[in-house]
Amino acid sequence: MSLISYLVISTILFICGLIVIISRKNIVAMLLGIELILNASALNFVAYGKYVSAHIDSHIMSLFIIVVAAAEAAVGLAIVIRFFQIRESIHIDNAAQLQS
Amino acid sequence: MELNYSFSQVAPIALLPFFAFVINAFIVKKFTKTAVFISCAAIFGSFLYSLRIFNDFVFNTYSTDYHIHKVFTWFDLSNSITGEYLINMGIYIDNMTAVMLLMVSGAAFLIHLFSTYYMADDIRFGRFFVYLSLFTSAMLGLVLSENLFSLFIFWELMGFCSYSLIGFYYEKEGAGNASMKAFMTTRVGDVFFLLGIVAIWTTIGSVSYVDIYQALANGDLAGQVAMFGFAVPLVSFAAFCIFMGTIGKSAQVPLQVWLPDAMWGPTPCSALIHAATMVAAGVYLSLRIYPLLEVGGLLPFVAYIGGITAFGAATIALVQTDIKAVLAFSTISQLGYMVLGIGVGSYNASFMHLVTHAIFKACLFLAAGSVIHSLHDHHTHGHVQEMPRMGGLRKKMPYTFFAMLCCTLAITGAPFFSGFVSKDRILGDALLMAVDNGAVWYGPALLGFGGAILTAFYMFRMLFLSFFGEPRDKDLYDHTHQEKLSLNRNVPLLILAIFTLGAWFSGSMTGQGIIKAPFVKNKEWFQTLIEKPSSNNLNKFKTYSKTQWVDETISNNNFTKSEYDSNHGLTDEQAHHVHHVHHVGAVVSVFIFLFGTLLAYFMYIKKSLDPAVWVNRFNGWYRALQNKYYFDDLYVAKMIQKGLLPLNNLLSRFDMGFYDKYAIDGWEKVNRVLYTISSKFDNIFVDRTLVDGTGTSVKLFNVILRTIQNGKIQFYFIIALVVLVSYFYSLGLNKF
Amino acid sequence: MFDQVLFYISAFLTVFGAILVVLERNLMHSCIFLLTSLMGVAGLYLTLGAEFVAATQLVVYVGGVVILMLFAVMLTGGGLEEIKKNIVSVDLAPSMGNLITYFWGALSAVVFLLVGGKILTSIYSSAVIADSPKLFIKTVEEIGTKLLTDHVLMFEMSSVLLLGALIGAAVISRPSKVNIFQKGEDDVSH
Repeated sequence: MSLISYLVISTILFICGLIVIISRKNIVAMLLGIELILNASALNFVAYGKYVSAHIDSHIMSLFIIVVAAAEAAVGLAIVIRFFQIRESIHIDNAAQLQS
Repeated sequence: MELNYSFSQVAPIALLPFFAFVINAFIVKKFTKTAVFISCAAIFGSFLYSLRIFNDFVFNTYSTDYHIHKVFTWFDLSNSITGEYLINMGIYIDNMTAVMLLMVSGAAFLIHLFSTYYMADDIRFGRFFVYLSLFTSAMLGLVLSENLFSLFIFWELMGFCSYSLIGFYYEKEGAGNASMKAFMTTRVGDVFFLLGIVAIWTTIGSVSYVDIYQALANGDLAGQVAMFGFAVPLVSFAAFCIFMGTIGKSAQVPLQVWLPDAMWGPTPCSALIHAATMVAAGVYLSLRIYPLLEVGGLLPFVAYIGGITAFGAATIALVQTDIKAVLAFSTISQLGYMVLGIGVGSYNASFMHLVTHAIFKACLFLAAGSVIHSLHDHHTHGHVQEMPRMGGLRKKMPYTFFAMLCCTLAITGAPFFSGFVSKDRILGDALLMAVDNGAVWYGPALLGFGGAILTAFYMFRMLFLSFFGEPRDKDLYDHTHQEKLSLNRNVPLLILAIFTLGAWFSGSMTGQGIIKAPFVKNKEWFQTLIEKPSSNNLNKFKTYSKTQWVDETISNNNFTKSEYDSNHGLTDEQAHHVHHVHHVGAVVSVFIFLFGTLLAYFMYIKKSLDPAVWVNRFNGWYRALQNKYYFDDLYVAKMIQKGLLPLNNLLSRFDMGFYDKYAIDGWEKVNRVLYTISSKFDNIFVDRTLVDGTGTSVKLFNVILRTIQNGKIQFYFIIALVVLVSYFYSLGLNKF
Repeated sequence: MFDQVLFYISAFLTVFGAILVVLERNLMHSCIFLLTSLMGVAGLYLTLGAEFVAATQLVVYVGGVVILMLFAVMLTGGGLEEIKKNIVSVDLAPSMGNLITYFWGALSAVVFLLVGGKILTSIYSSAVIADSPKLFIKTVEEIGTKLLTDHVLMFEMSSVLLLGALIGAAVISRPSKVNIFQKGEDDVSH
């Protein structure tokens, strides 16, 4: 219930998201990891907002994080679909070509 | 009247011909006539300057003490080890120098004039004048010089000019050999000369005449030199060495071999160099170091050398058929007389004989040149010098004949002529030495008088053979042109002939004061002004001061006029004895002259005595005389070919076989090794390691580094995380 | 008490959901576990007194984003590619990565944990921690007021952002004129 517990949770979320991004080879799976990370940061904000500064702005920050995450997920998935249309696969190593 | 003698009033004597030489060296090819004119004008300028000095010394200041002495420091080598060590150059003019300057420049000018006629149709006409100008400048510089070192410099310069002029006709092989022989023979004498200079220099620190006289007066030169286990007095050693220079340059025995061969040069060159000036330089040197010879006890040696030369050369001249050869040996003989005069202590007469000999011998050579030049052989296209082909030329060349007659009378010692005045005094002093001191001094006296007989004989032989009798070669005689009076051919001869009169040198017609010439104030001017620096007379040199090159007023009122002392500084009794001996000598001289002349007359004009008879009776002697006493044989075949040449071969074998092969060519091997090392270094280190290695390492790094940009997003992500973490680490962890 | 129970349940859901997202082979299952994790996060928000945020989370994330991801998974073949084998790979489900990638991931996580732990300890020692939570009674009203007064720019910007995202997504994923499973001359990649 104290601040530390929330921070621990958000750290775990963050780490899990990190592992997902680094270790998985599917682009969509990587996007999952990104979502986890974003959530971890939003949770952080709100936790601080309650225990440290008691300001309502932390909630607003979390809201905006959610908004951005949604927008980003939409655009990212659109890119994934386009990538799939071109390459016929969504393996991350197929996106390693630096210059066409 | 006061005269200021600055540098610009004295130095042009030597510098004008030198500038003429420098200018002519550049323009002689294109502007030959201008070059010749410049040469003649330069020597005439020198003559005018000399005339001015002569005028001041003889006519204005008539004093034995009057002198001009200026020095400047050429090198200053003083340092703390050697103390003061200066090398000075300078000018020293006294009465002797004044007379010598006038004689040299005057004779040189007349010879320049004659050369414009004699060398006019030669291809290298201008070149001759270039050398002549250099030579006259060197001789005048020598006469003006103040110390033995600068004298030596001009001495060597004259040696070089003599070499160039003797070898002037370098197409003839004989000329090349003769010029080399002249140079090398005088070189032998010069080595000793330099040794003597060094000996004196290391003892008293200077070689100026004045300093040497001063040192002798103070006894500074008394020392010993260790030679081959003997202790030789320093004065004798130095005097002997310097006298060797005279022996070389003035063609005394044993170094007389070069002068006969020097006749390969053109005749005006012979006139200037081998009659009037260069050979006289040797005698001038001996005159200057006379006190050294006296204190060193070398005078008997000097007298004998002079006597032997005088007599020996006269004997060789008896059998010569080339007109120039007769004159050459005559020159050697007369030089022997001068040296003989120094040896017997007759300083004044020796110098007078130098001057008079210069004049009449130059005239004789020029006259011979005039004869040779007009005897043109159409078959060989050369000029004839052989007397057996001449004869009866007196009708064709009257002016030349007149000049030659005057000079022959002078050289043989006819009364009223200058040669009689000087030679008779020398012989009189030789006789005096023999009478007074006996023993060794009989030799020089006998040699002197014997030589005088021979001189009379062979000179008149030459005259009679050339100018009298019937022409022996009709063809040659007919093609000879009649002589006309011309400025550059006859006038120099006649001017020189005028000065062969004895009255110019001593006021009387006979030189003994018997018949005095009228209207002349100081009759015995020569004998008064030229003073013998004998060792008991040197005290006045203790006060000679050397002035630096500053304009200094030398007032000739400070010098007392000298008077002619007919007693020569002796008591009346001694003077009477001296005069008596001199009179005896004069009479003997006259008889000698008459005897020689008549002998020649009977042999060659009257033909009552046949020379062939004498030749047959003394055939061995005749051949010896024709081979010049086998001196050339000795030097060339025995000493050079048997001695020096094998040594030369040995040394050259060493040089080429050993030194060149190992020390010089050996470096090639070393270079080869070094080159190999260097190329290997270049290949391995520079090319492979540095140059190729750079490329290879770039490729290596490329392989390593390009994995960073592999395009994999996850890799980038990891890197970004690492960077972030390390950022936190650098920021945060330290504080926490 | 209610708070604590809710907190524990939400925490449990969040953490295990996240862990299972990592470990699950099947991509669809990973999305579902993400969903659960996000629901747990919403519960956590509630315990923190951020009702509005929790509600927004549920609506947007759970009901929007994850569904969208599921759509994308299904549109791109369902994550059923070939298995790549190499020396150190374990035979995992397709697109799961191999041991190497997991290793790197784990290493990064450990490193981050160390750093984060260090930071956390400091905060724990120096930060002011209020024990009694102070609840905002009129949370929604407050947020609404703030959005339209203090942060109105961000509010409007976020709407522009969403518009841009919308249009962008539509444009980017627009199919070409021919069949999307055909490669042809209309490929824009060059």
